[in-house]
Amino acid sequence: MANEKKPNRVGVFICHCGTNIAGVIPIDQLREYAMTLPNVVHADNYTYMCSTPGQEKIKTAIKEHNLDAVVVAACSPRLHEPTFRKASAAGGLNPFIFEMANIREQSSWIHMKEPERATEKAKDIVRMSVARASLLEPLDTKYIPVEKAIMVIGAGVAGIQAALEIADSGITTYLIEKDPSIGGNMSRLDKTFPTLDCSQCILTPKMVDVDRHPNIKTLTYTEVDKVDGYIGNFTVTVRRKARGVKEAECNGCGDCAAVCPVTKGNEFDLGLGPRKAIYVPFPQAVPLKYTIDFDSCIKCDLCVKKCGDKNAIDLNMKDELVEIKVGTIIVATGFDLYEIEKKEEWGYGRYDNVITGLQFERLINASGPTGGKLIRPSDGQKPHNVAFVLCAGSRDQDANPYCSRVCCMYSLKHAHQIMEKMPGTIPYLFYMDIRAFGKAYEEFYYRIQDEGAKFVRGRVSYIEEDPVTKNCIVHAEDTLLGTPVTLDADMVVLASAIVPKETTELLRNKLTISRSPDKFLLEAHPKLNPFSTSTDAIFLAGCCQGPKDIPDTVAQAAGAAAAAQVPINQGKVALEPIAAKVNDDLCSGCGVCGSLCPYKAITLSEIGEGHRRASVNDAMCKGCGTCGAACPAKAITMQHFKNEQIRAQIAALFTPVGGA
Amino acid sequence: MSEAKLKSSLFLGCIAPNRYPGIEVSTIKTAKNLGVELVDLKGAGCCPAPGAFGSMDLLTWEALAARNICLSEQMGLDCTVVCNGCYKSLYDVNEKLKANPVEMEKVNGILKLADMQYKGSIEVRHVAEQLYNDVGIKKIRDSVVQPLNGIKVGIHYGCHLLKPGRERHFTNAEAFGTEIPRFLDEMVEALGARSMDYKDKMMCCGAGGGVRGYKKDFALDMTNEKLKNMQAVGVDCIVDVCPFCHLQFDLGQMEIAEKFGDKYNIPVLHYGQLLGLAQGMSPDELGLEAHQIKVDSLLDKIV
Amino acid sequence: MADEFEPKILGILCNWCTYAGSDLAGTSRIQYPPNVRVIRVMCTGRIDPAFVMEAFSLGADAVLISGCHIGDCHYIAGNYKARRRIALTRKVIEQFGIDPRRLKMTFVSASEGALWAEVVKDMVNTIKKLGPTPVQKKVDLHAAGGHAAAGADEDLAEIAKASAGKKLEAAPVQKK
Repeated sequence: MANEKKPNRVGVFICHCGTNIAGVIPIDQLREYAMTLPNVVHADNYTYMCSTPGQEKIKTAIKEHNLDAVVVAACSPRLHEPTFRKASAAGGLNPFIFEMANIREQSSWIHMKEPERATEKAKDIVRMSVARASLLEPLDTKYIPVEKAIMVIGAGVAGIQAALEIADSGITTYLIEKDPSIGGNMSRLDKTFPTLDCSQCILTPKMVDVDRHPNIKTLTYTEVDKVDGYIGNFTVTVRRKARGVKEAECNGCGDCAAVCPVTKGNEFDLGLGPRKAIYVPFPQAVPLKYTIDFDSCIKCDLCVKKCGDKNAIDLNMKDELVEIKVGTIIVATGFDLYEIEKKEEWGYGRYDNVITGLQFERLINASGPTGGKLIRPSDGQKPHNVAFVLCAGSRDQDANPYCSRVCCMYSLKHAHQIMEKMPGTIPYLFYMDIRAFGKAYEEFYYRIQDEGAKFVRGRVSYIEEDPVTKNCIVHAEDTLLGTPVTLDADMVVLASAIVPKETTELLRNKLTISRSPDKFLLEAHPKLNPFSTSTDAIFLAGCCQGPKDIPDTVAQAAGAAAAAQVPINQGKVALEPIAAKVNDDLCSGCGVCGSLCPYKAITLSEIGEGHRRASVNDAMCKGCGTCGAACPAKAITMQHFKNEQIRAQIAALFTPVGGA
Repeated sequence: MSEAKLKSSLFLGCIAPNRYPGIEVSTIKTAKNLGVELVDLKGAGCCPAPGAFGSMDLLTWEALAARNICLSEQMGLDCTVVCNGCYKSLYDVNEKLKANPVEMEKVNGILKLADMQYKGSIEVRHVAEQLYNDVGIKKIRDSVVQPLNGIKVGIHYGCHLLKPGRERHFTNAEAFGTEIPRFLDEMVEALGARSMDYKDKMMCCGAGGGVRGYKKDFALDMTNEKLKNMQAVGVDCIVDVCPFCHLQFDLGQMEIAEKFGDKYNIPVLHYGQLLGLAQGMSPDELGLEAHQIKVDSLLDKIV
Repeated sequence: MADEFEPKILGILCNWCTYAGSDLAGTSRIQYPPNVRVIRVMCTGRIDPAFVMEAFSLGADAVLISGCHIGDCHYIAGNYKARRRIALTRKVIEQFGIDPRRLKMTFVSASEGALWAEVVKDMVNTIKKLGPTPVQKKVDLHAAGGHAAAGADEDLAEIAKASAGKKLEAAPVQKK
């Protein structure tokens, strides 16, 4: 290790943070205490250390007092460590000889009613930080080149928008979609609120743009198999599932489907309509190539024969694994509806005439299984009234506690569509609150009320089925009238909760990103950074991060696209210099470290006569420290988190020196 | 250990001993035929009635329930109840005190006056739960000597046994679901009877929650609706697992005839009594003569 | 006792999950006992059991390690290693006469601020019941003027006295 002089001229800067810290902890007392600590030669304080004058204080003090280490006692390092590292660097110090003492989130904010104990704790924290700062070493940030490509996982409207933004700025984009066609849930919708645009009409042009874009490589019927590498240099192995159809040869004529003898429920129509074993999910599919569902295909060869000279079908096709190198990744895997049959009281799955909101979209859609006619599944008759159950499985302690955000608006839209297409049919909306939060949403709500939709403010306690007519008898409470009500409904539409796709859970483990308690993917910061994750170079867009409508999805996708492009445009990414380092003299080649490293960043090389020595690949090492904790010879040191630095913190805590 | 599950103390509550002693005798005798020993719980008092007491003062309710549980703890046996209301009192209080040491201390402060201490060492089960989970449908079916000839049974599950669903943790949870339970249907069909589906099967009988005491007409109106729905599918009898529901349907039919003029004449049996008939016991043995609604019509259909 | 015993607990938290969660508790102004002093590491996998032993030898009443939930480690598997190491360390400190409940590993994610506060409250209550650490303050041997062997000699003398006259059990014969 370098025989550098350890810092012994530490400067401590205490932040008031307005009254956030100063309101609980007496700053003067803390500053005076800091001056008594070993190696501290300067202590100062200011109302907002992160502000320009605050940072100036640091820069000036470094020069004036010849400081060789800086401690700032303020908020969390997760917030401002970069800020103050830059300030130290501007003052002439190596930015890594800087330590932050968190006396706000870890003291003043959590012990507001016990100021004396908060102050004692703050003193301990500062003492520990000074002890650590006195052992910090200069480190250099390494830069590595970035692969000039971005992968977008999921091709719903979020993925499509992000891909277009990225591709337009000239960067190669890989758009991965696990279904046979791009489009996602938005392509299932009929009209979109509040403008009542036709969903396919506004989405299909974007889908075609994606298909045609020279910078976008769309891989449909493809899933992510493995993710290796690190920020700026990911190697993603994708599995191109066996389609059974050669994409280059297929022209989408459909002759094969016409002769296929196997019929199944169409997933795109949520089981309400049929498809063949060889199929396209919907007429506007992009790419318009057929796909064989090998689970149902009986290999009768009729389609092969019909396809004839075009020779587009290969029943023996196998999955193909493809490695793709990218610099950053955007996750846009979208949502599913909650399994509403779990709410047994509403009879979904048992009663014929209870459907979900998405199924309603397929029925009312002119290109859906009924040609746009809303009919009762039990007898194909037109319903005279339709009951809508809002908050079905949302805002529910026994199902999903959160609000799914879009259901009020789409139920209003459904009510409108019923009144417009089927005059005389009455929609009844059973609601708790109508959340019409967006632009022109509340005005849309007035309109639907004026058009004659019926609103009952109360929950639906249970639904029973008339065994003869198959009508749904809806039992609810009208809280405004204060009585229970019963509605004999021809059909019921459940506005089921939005949940993240199950496959997203498998994907996120491969990417090592976190999820929130509500199971959606966790953003880096809920307000300031909802499109990033805490893993560098992996971003989020759309409903996989939380329920949202189309405008918010598109906005977030554009944000994610912008953020994902930054490392690409800079051409390099910074590696935090906290990697492991092997001391060749101490390493005996036992190999314990190599066996523990989750990133296979440690290799053992022969150095003659059967001796081995470990060496660490700086770029692959992420600095977790698992090896450092295990090395029996303490030959591996974790830079910036060395044993002596941690031990100094522990010792400083339990053996107070100087001051009270 | 399944051995321990086949011997327990029997908590009778109030209505069974006072009004329908047949429920007690049928439960004990049929259980014996299935290898379950139910031992008298000496000194037991009112559970206390969860609706009436629970809504007045929680601590009183908990203390009185804990006292009954203590009696079973002192015997070192789990406790079996025959009534949904008693189940709510004893099971809910048992679970609550086990999970909440502060509350347990408060209750033990009161129990000290009786030189008792609640420890939280036993489980509380409903007899129907015990028969389904610990004895099993097969054994029940095997114990039948007089198959019930396909009589149509309107099963009334009642309320407190299965709700609130969040606080119920039965083994074989699916059969004990809150919205569509199956265990009683299976237990009735195992006897050779037919469980009838009827409108609003999971509706309350009207008695509990203090309603029968406070607003009897309202309670009877609810019972009347249930009876109407059951009659519409032609049931031969009503089977319940709660003496209070039992009272509401049995005595209730007399009161409804008086107040509303509707006559049904549908015999009402606690499951233990139906099981007893299937096991070949005589109506006298099962205390059926104490019922307000004569059961002769039913007996004719069985023989 | 005039003053109620206030445990001094060392917390070692991982940067990505529990430290972030504890920051969230702070941002949410959740109030909880001030007995824990936190050291931040990148991953609980970094934690050498020697740190824990050192903390106890210096007088810690308890040590609380906390990281990402199992399966969610930011570095894939560091928390698995930490879990195993801490489990073993608990057995070791028991041999030293330290109640194993004084060493605890918990799993708190970045969004679980409230849970972190509960974890701390629970630990403080437990340690308050257990009382102060049984470990004597480290003797400053240099100040005492002797060296390590002196202390060892005294210990040996004690042991010799206690076992005087006692028959030692023969070691069991190892079967082939």
